[in-house]
Amino acid sequence: MKAFLAITRVTLRQLLGGKRLLAFGLLALVPAVVMFLASRDLTETAVVERFHEAPVAIVFLIVLPVVALILGASALGDERRDGTLSFLILRPLPRSSIAAAKLFAAWAGTTAIVGMSAALAAAVVGIRIGDWSYIAPAAFAAAVSALAYNAVFLLLGYFTSRAVLLGLVYVFIWENGVTFAAASLANVSLFRIGLSAYAGLVPESLVQLDEVLGSVAPGAGGAVAKVLVVAVLAVLAAGSLLRRRDLL
Amino acid sequence: MTAGPAFAPSATIEVTDVSKWFGQKVAVSDLSCSFGPGLTGLLGPNGAGKTTLLRMVCGLLRPSDGSITVLGAEPRRDPSVYRRLALVPEEDAVYGILTARQFVAFSADLTGVPRHRVAEAIEVVDLSSAADRPISGFSKGMRQRAKVAAALVTDPEVLILDEPLNGTDPVQRAHLIGVFRRLAGEGKTVIVSSHVLREVERMADRVLAVVDGRLAAAGDVAAIRRAMADIPYRVRIDVGSTRRIASTLLNEDVVGSVRVVGGRLHVETTDLATLGTIVPRIAREADARLTSFEPEDESLESVFRYLVHRR
Repeated sequence: MKAFLAITRVTLRQLLGGKRLLAFGLLALVPAVVMFLASRDLTETAVVERFHEAPVAIVFLIVLPVVALILGASALGDERRDGTLSFLILRPLPRSSIAAAKLFAAWAGTTAIVGMSAALAAAVVGIRIGDWSYIAPAAFAAAVSALAYNAVFLLLGYFTSRAVLLGLVYVFIWENGVTFAAASLANVSLFRIGLSAYAGLVPESLVQLDEVLGSVAPGAGGAVAKVLVVAVLAVLAAGSLLRRRDLL
Repeated sequence: MTAGPAFAPSATIEVTDVSKWFGQKVAVSDLSCSFGPGLTGLLGPNGAGKTTLLRMVCGLLRPSDGSITVLGAEPRRDPSVYRRLALVPEEDAVYGILTARQFVAFSADLTGVPRHRVAEAIEVVDLSSAADRPISGFSKGMRQRAKVAAALVTDPEVLILDEPLNGTDPVQRAHLIGVFRRLAGEGKTVIVSSHVLREVERMADRVLAVVDGRLAAAGDVAAIRRAMADIPYRVRIDVGSTRRIASTLLNEDVVGSVRVVGGRLHVETTDLATLGTIVPRIAREADARLTSFEPEDESLESVFRYLVHRR
């Protein structure tokens, strides 16, 4: 446990050091600012509907994938690139626990930023109409999808130094393009897992989100189960790679 | 255990018929040797395969052929061996965001050793005064010492150091050599790789010389020296009366051949020291001006290649 926490602590410092935290912080504020500007002079129902349109879309289609991609891909990828991975590997630890600590750190960092982003946007609903009940589901849904993205991008970051580029192609061409054009592919979309959790917790959001979810059934439990499976598989695969692949 | 100078009497690391190739490139070729308590120098020019061998010993690379055991276990299969094995890699594998103290504490946490050893390890490498500064601001020599401290904090039975003296100044070098010798004296297996013969001579009792991925020579330092005793050296000499000096030199026993190229003498000899005393005398007797006497081919690579071809 001590080793797990030590890796998590150092990884968080690596991931959120320098100007990265500032840049992510500014990006995270965008949904709240948009919501604030777009919700003036609206009725209570319209404020909620507006929240489920633009701010939710910005959080789940831009802020979440970008932050999760960069933090996930960097968690193992930077260690490999900087030559510090051997410092972790040459320890009496199961390789999967190294991968798990890396994933946990990336997820904690992503959730802090994106969860805050979603919570702030939902807090604007509270400011406008006095209903604060959207904050927790929005932050929770962001955390759920963050784990799925981090897990996938952790593996990608270990495989290639072009993980961010490939991740951006996945996010903006596959997820934001192809899966909208072909609703049957919605199941192969990570942001929809989080949205389905949100829709499960906030059923009235389905009015706006049903079309986006496509064939993905709403439900928080199912969403959590899905991302846990993705996370476990990613950790096992990364652990196996750390054990089997040569470290040049 | 196999007998011979390449094999240590009480081996803690056994390398058996090990080869490693990367695509078409053979980095290590059918190499067998062992390492035991004490300080062993792994000597070889850059690109000889030293780092590849050490990374295979540590389990970072899988041998393409052959097997390696460390303290009776295969590190790639049994990570528990890393409680007793530490590597100081050649590359700058440090976390620049951490201070030296945090870096060494991180190493302690990862291996599960108590934190009270951190200050001690930092003290051993003489880094206490800079321990709370970020490593990103360290010189190369200080980074090397931080890496050594991060290895020492785990109190390993087997310590592998890949070119640990690179970038260190003479004082730091002498200090680190003292540390390595002390650890070897305590019965730990210490392997230090280097491409500098003089460095290895100063610290190692036993030397393995590796060239082109093969074991070129093994034994104590004196044996390596003896193996190198009859190596021919080439010397470039700038002197007046070139042709006259050349014909005189050819009569000397230590001179193998003499060529005159562009007004300079290129002399091959098996005894550099004697030639160094003969040439000024001959020049003086011929009333010729001697302006330079430079060994042409004194690189370690040529010495090693000679050893390989001689086998």
